[in-house]
Amino acid sequence: MYHRQVDGEHDALRARFTVWLEKLIKNAKINYLEEYKKEVITISIDSLFEDEFLVDYKDIPIPVGKDEFDFEEERLAKAFYELPLMKQKILKMLFVDEVKPEFIAKHLNCSPQYVYNQKLRAIKLLRKKLGKGGGDS
Amino acid sequence: MTSNDFHFVLQAAIAGEHKALEKIIEMYEPLINKYCFIDGEYDEDLRQYILIRIALKISKFNI
Repeated sequence: MYHRQVDGEHDALRARFTVWLEKLIKNAKINYLEEYKKEVITISIDSLFEDEFLVDYKDIPIPVGKDEFDFEEERLAKAFYELPLMKQKILKMLFVDEVKPEFIAKHLNCSPQYVYNQKLRAIKLLRKKLGKGGGDS
Repeated sequence: MTSNDFHFVLQAAIAGEHKALEKIIEMYEPLINKYCFIDGEYDEDLRQYILIRIALKISKFNI
């Protein structure tokens, strides 16, 4: 009888400790998020408008063929500058600056897969605009 | 672990015994891990932070 009562008390203690510990862990998580994750506010790239990424490009209109790189073909240059700004930026970083997709992803705060997708889409669009392989869309 | 054993281990952990604290943490590992996910990803730093908090605060628990 006595043992059963003691066991009951200990079970209550266990339950009380579990509740206390869970509360402690929850509060620790909240504190951690407030203290350490404050500076890493990340916003999904898809949730933003394209223009918001491209402040540097928005203010400086790039005339065809007058950028730091020249196109061999006027037609290609025209097609390139008709692309959405984000795709232009990704293509420029990939092929002109020769930056790795992983670095671009870090720079644009998106996943490397997003960079690869944008690259493929941009090339597809360019082909379409140039009339080469336009049927593969 | 029986209720009686738990009582002794907890008492030792509160008194500052490292082995007992390890045992308590081992026991509550699933509960701790449950709270270590941020945006669906396991955060090892958060786990460390929680463990430090437990180690610092366990002495405040009233038996």
